[in-house]
Amino acid sequence: MSDEAPDPAPAPVAPTPWLRLDPRMLLLQPLTELARFLPALIPLLLFGTASGFGPWAIVGVAAPLALGVARYLTTSYRIVEGRIELRRGVLQRRTTSARLERVRTVDMTATLGHRVLGVSKLVIGTGTGGAGDEDDLELDGLARDRAAELRTSLLERPGRAEGAGEAPRSGEEAPGSAAEPDVRSAPVVAARFSPRWLLYAPFTSAGFIAAAALIGFFAQAFPSAEIDLGVDNGDVPRLGVILVVLALVAVLIAATLLVIGGYLFLNWGFTLSRLSGSWQVRRGLTTTRETSLDVDRVAGVSVAEGAALRIAHGARLSAIVTGLGSGGSDSAILVPPAPGAVVRDAAAAVLGSAAPVAAELRPHGPAAVRRRWTRALTATLPVHLLVVAAILAFDATPFLLGISVASLAVAALLAHDRSRGLGHGWIAGYVVMRSGSLARRRTALGGGHVIGWTVRESWFQRRVGLVTLTATTAGGSGRTEVDDIPTSAAYRLAEEATPGLLGQFRSDQFRPELAGT
Amino acid sequence: MWSLSSAISCLLVVVGVGLATTLWLEGWWTWPAIALTVALAVANTLLVPQWRYLVHRWEATDTAVYTQRGWWSRERRIAPMSRVQTVDFTQGPLARLLGLATVTVTTASAAGPLQIDGLETDVALGLVDDLTRKADLVEGDAT
Repeated sequence: MSDEAPDPAPAPVAPTPWLRLDPRMLLLQPLTELARFLPALIPLLLFGTASGFGPWAIVGVAAPLALGVARYLTTSYRIVEGRIELRRGVLQRRTTSARLERVRTVDMTATLGHRVLGVSKLVIGTGTGGAGDEDDLELDGLARDRAAELRTSLLERPGRAEGAGEAPRSGEEAPGSAAEPDVRSAPVVAARFSPRWLLYAPFTSAGFIAAAALIGFFAQAFPSAEIDLGVDNGDVPRLGVILVVLALVAVLIAATLLVIGGYLFLNWGFTLSRLSGSWQVRRGLTTTRETSLDVDRVAGVSVAEGAALRIAHGARLSAIVTGLGSGGSDSAILVPPAPGAVVRDAAAAVLGSAAPVAAELRPHGPAAVRRRWTRALTATLPVHLLVVAAILAFDATPFLLGISVASLAVAALLAHDRSRGLGHGWIAGYVVMRSGSLARRRTALGGGHVIGWTVRESWFQRRVGLVTLTATTAGGSGRTEVDDIPTSAAYRLAEEATPGLLGQFRSDQFRPELAGT
Repeated sequence: MWSLSSAISCLLVVVGVGLATTLWLEGWWTWPAIALTVALAVANTLLVPQWRYLVHRWEATDTAVYTQRGWWSRERRIAPMSRVQTVDFTQGPLARLLGLATVTVTTASAAGPLQIDGLETDVALGLVDDLTRKADLVEGDAT
């Protein structure tokens, strides 16, 4: 891993000294340390003052403070010979070193405290694939301009392209890297926050969860209101109904406010911009967060439009970043829930072409549509069985059949929408797949980033000539898949994206179908 | 190998169901349940491995590896040689008894490796060498 590529010239610093974090962290670090120990401290303090053990309380406060200072003193970093090294740890020393060309993302975060002091925290992601934070290089507390400078130097190395060792692309070059030279100085903004986006916040799954949680809470809090509904005489039920309606409205309003508030805190001042070799995402109201993604590492994007968001004509955009697991998905968010047009523009900017997210996709044909219907309708079977059983066995009112009918209607809607959602294509050098209804997702993956195919078929699928095609990649969740694609279309797509890869196998029984297309 | 391992696991299930039904779930359906389990187990032992064997195939060319596995639902995986990251050779106790081995080819994707079960040991070793050499020839970090 280390001895293949020639080192890019490091920043011209002679025998590089170890650098410390910003001294201002001496103020912040002990305080955060103190806050972290607070749960342990409170009983200590109470106990201490009650029984008159003053000194212990002082020790309890002083120890975290000292730890904070020690942490500051023991953390240092340097950039030397094409790698960045970080030394840290109070009792157990750790030295982490990473090659510069392996840097995939740089996160710059600043909490309110950081911002008051003018410092930020820099997290350098190298995509080790391992579980998380131990291997990330984390520089908590650099002066803001120093951090920005370091970030630029990390992402803008000369000769980064050779060092990155991207395997030779088959077919087209990723369009994104073509426009590189002329954007060196001024950042190009692809999407910018506008307060109007706040309207889209309630249409996300977070909105539903908040509403559901609140409804659950109220159901617990006022069980009487629920019971009143069942009683069928006099003024009591009317009062109950009014109460319930009022409660529901209140819950909805509260949930909406909650979600909008959360969205506001997280995404205020959002901008997505291109700064030379990387994409920068900046957002946050109190805690600002700036994420930089190396352009070469952006393998593709995925546009997610949940059902509710789609009704509101909104969408959200995330990037598939090579070497960045789904665990770090936070830093892969390109655009939070926002108007669809904004999202599509941003996606077009990232991909270098609007076609992958806008163009029509090839539909999957009647067999796939039938399968969607069968699956949706059979899923409602237990409901019908329950209803019939209830009516026959327990003399329940026949009106329960309404539930059956309603579930059928919902299933039909779902099936229709799901079959409309299915689609795939090979557009402008990207493998594009779309599927789902409640959580519809359109994924565009650069052809050069496809590192394998998986073709799965159940017995039912095999009978009607459909397969589930999965393109595997090194980033994100590691795969993008599309259900129920006709076998020949699947092979055509794979053949277009990776020419000659599939056709060469003797034992592949489906090759004749490929020849037929 | 598949016959043997599924025979063992089926035996365990049969014994488990038998014990459970006779010990504390007695009723008219005890014996039918046991009979059903035994029938399923026999089918699982005799038929499924054959089926698996028929489906299972693999191929390695100069530029890619291909595997097909499964029985009821099948899965074919293809990985270009340039994206191969590690090649593993594993032998469980059963496999060692029968002189077989499993070769696992991992790519950078989190979506799972390619697995070739039940190769004769020397074929497997040869394949491992072969794959390693070919993967080595290709430049890049296989992402």
